Amino acid sequence: MNKTIKILSACGTGVATSTVAAETCKKLLAERGFENVDVTECKSIEIVGKAEVINPDVIIHTAEIPLDQLKEYRAFRVLQFITGFGAEEVADEIAEYLKSKED
Amino acid sequence: MFWENIKKEFVVTNLKANSEKEVFEELGQRMVNAGRCKDSFVKALEEREMVFPTGILCDDIGVAIPHTDSEHVNESTISIANLDKPVKFYHMGTNPKEGVEVQVQFIIMLAIAGTNHLDMLQKAIQLIQDKEVLLKLIAAGSSEEVIQIIKEKEMQNEQNN
Repeated sequence: MNKTIKILSACGTGVATSTVAAETCKKLLAERGFENVDVTECKSIEIVGKAEVINPDVIIHTAEIPLDQLKEYRAFRVLQFITGFGAEEVADEIAEYLKSKED
Repeated sequence: MFWENIKKEFVVTNLKANSEKEVFEELGQRMVNAGRCKDSFVKALEEREMVFPTGILCDDIGVAIPHTDSEHVNESTISIANLDKPVKFYHMGTNPKEGVEVQVQFIIMLAIAGTNHLDMLQKAIQLIQDKEVLLKLIAAGSSEEVIQIIKEKEMQNEQNN
């Protein structure tokens, strides 16, 4: 798949758990055939504005985000990318969603 | 190597704390006193935890990864502690108002300056992703032992790569 996938990764500070989640997500999506993945990190409180600018294909988050203001995007809470437990399963879900978007 | 960046003075075993606030004061203040973080660091940890909690269940073990904005940090530092008895945190990704509690036994406090710390963050998080290592870290009785466990894990990873 050559299209670049845009992911917006949010956590409370935008520098710690979102970074780890983003890297894990990239790695697991690459294993699922998504080689071109662009990740932008942000703080939860910035996410609505960031999403408007970036128009991400998918949002991943480790902190609470205002989902009611992000209805046009699919958001995955990805604590599994932090703990490792269940990470493969969430990556499958995200990959499936991205594939369904392409069709 | 990652383990070499973990300083004994920031590793505490059997930390006695009755609340997350006491955990922040005990560990955070050490980093402030050593000049690694600004005076505002401890308060900033508390405030952030109230909005974006950092407790997390790793399988069935409660861990917390408190951290806050870089503006409160002078030099990136990791502080590690196992707790004398579990302390209540709220679960990462939830709003504390929802009341999703985690009984935390192990703390990795991250003081992060700037943005280029992916390797440090990943290595720190790897410690809680390996249940066998996590259980060892929780059982460790001295800071030397904690660092030794982390060193051994890193050596093992190197050999596997």
